Amino acid sequence: MEYISPEGLRLDGRRPMEMRQLHAELGVIAKADGSATFEMGNTKVVAAVYGPREVQNRSQQLQEQALVRCEYSMATFSTGERRKRGKGDRRSTEISLVIRQTMESAILTHLLPRSQIDIFVQVLQADGGTRSACINAAALALADAGIPMRDLVASCAAGFLNNTPLLDLNYTEDSGGGPDVTVGVFPKLDKISLLQMDSKLPIDLFEKVLELATEGAKATAEYMRERLSENTRQLVSARGLLRF
Amino acid sequence: MVGLSAAERVYIEDGIAQDLRLDGRGRQHFRSLSIQTGVIPQANGSARVRLAGTDVIASVKAELGSPQPGRPGCGNMFISVECSPTAAPEFEGKGGEDTNLELAKALQRNFLGGASGAGAAIDLTTLIVIEGKVCWELYIDGLVLSSDGNILDALSIAVKAALSNTGIPKVQVMGGLSLEEADFELSDNPEEFSHLDTAQVPVTVTISKVGRYHIVDATAEEESQVSSAVSVAVNSKGLICGLTKSGTAGLDPSILMDMISVGKRVGLKTISSVETDIAAAERTLEAE
Repeated sequence: MEYISPEGLRLDGRRPMEMRQLHAELGVIAKADGSATFEMGNTKVVAAVYGPREVQNRSQQLQEQALVRCEYSMATFSTGERRKRGKGDRRSTEISLVIRQTMESAILTHLLPRSQIDIFVQVLQADGGTRSACINAAALALADAGIPMRDLVASCAAGFLNNTPLLDLNYTEDSGGGPDVTVGVFPKLDKISLLQMDSKLPIDLFEKVLELATEGAKATAEYMRERLSENTRQLVSARGLLRF
Repeated sequence: MVGLSAAERVYIEDGIAQDLRLDGRGRQHFRSLSIQTGVIPQANGSARVRLAGTDVIASVKAELGSPQPGRPGCGNMFISVECSPTAAPEFEGKGGEDTNLELAKALQRNFLGGASGAGAAIDLTTLIVIEGKVCWELYIDGLVLSSDGNILDALSIAVKAALSNTGIPKVQVMGGLSLEEADFELSDNPEEFSHLDTAQVPVTVTISKVGRYHIVDATAEEESQVSSAVSVAVNSKGLICGLTKSGTAGLDPSILMDMISVGKRVGLKTISSVETDIAAAERTLEAE
């Protein structure tokens, strides 16, 4: 299948190294300690953070650090075909684990011993890159909850189709059978905390694709930081702390 | 779970007795409501409803299927509800299953009518493509994103708005004289669709009894003090389309009748404001 037109445009009209439109909002769920929505094109997810709070199940309590938990769920209407997904199927368990590990590496867990942090992500619309969108939403929700973190975590995916590296795959491109490299980065520390790839790719090309995905993740991080400082500015002026 | 001290409980109950609730409302007032339609592009119809801190989404997906054997002249409608753990950590894992089922059952009672398909919110005979063979099946899914009490009423309003927003693709039936020969073709033109007749779709109003008085649209704090509640589905003609009593305390029949009549009165007021809001939401959607 042709994923790139002779003019060099992708199926949704983007250039190969172009990301989809990003949109993020903070504090969307009133009762949660922190929450955020994150949109990448047609992919839309909501994340809510509860905690740090008392550990619910005593046997899981950690003396030295905080317990981080995560649950990923997809709404029945999130995909094109309506599908009733049971909770805890293999795919969502794996994604829950990936999000948990990525977030755990960012949170300064040793500052919050004997406490629990719950991260819940809910996919409302799935159009490729739900993994990345979930990580970005979870990072914003953690920041909104005021949980101490080493750095922001931002994630983006890249692929390789029709001999071209492509940034931020949508669902059609994702199902194209090519490799799909998802990375999560700490933008300020300049470190990679998550790396996944399906399918195979020659090593020199992999480097190129990885570099593209990392660049994408850093651009996402910049947007996230912008949204966070805008949100803080709004809070400051809402509380009358700032005099203009 | 809402943890309240004894003083807070007394404050809530006394406030209700004096017709002045925590957020300044009277006993029979709804919180301010916001409706947004067409929020899920991949569904045939969808709506998001916010009642202060309560936030729900309803989506309608239409698929072609076959009518049930007992009622060849009727299409099918299914309702399910899911409480996302984002609303409360208690809904994590299998924790929300009881609540999901309870809410779905209450909505089914109010929207689906009897087993014969009579009395449903949408005239099910309009969903027939070829009698006894092909019909539309409407899958209605509710998702609770955030909860601050009165989830059922918010869901019912979201379902009503999503049904008003629903577009059913046009189907061309090609004439064979007998049932076996009849065939159909789905239109590929996305501009060709029809809307459902949602004039008779009810909304649900839950009347909750706190102490000696009853209130509508209880918040999470108030819900923790409710002894029993009655959910009444009312349509725009003022007819009652479904009833669900919840809560463990028994009710005196005269009080029950009183609660139902309050439900009808508030329901009529709510339904007219909901219909104006839906029309406004549809207009902003078209303007975009």
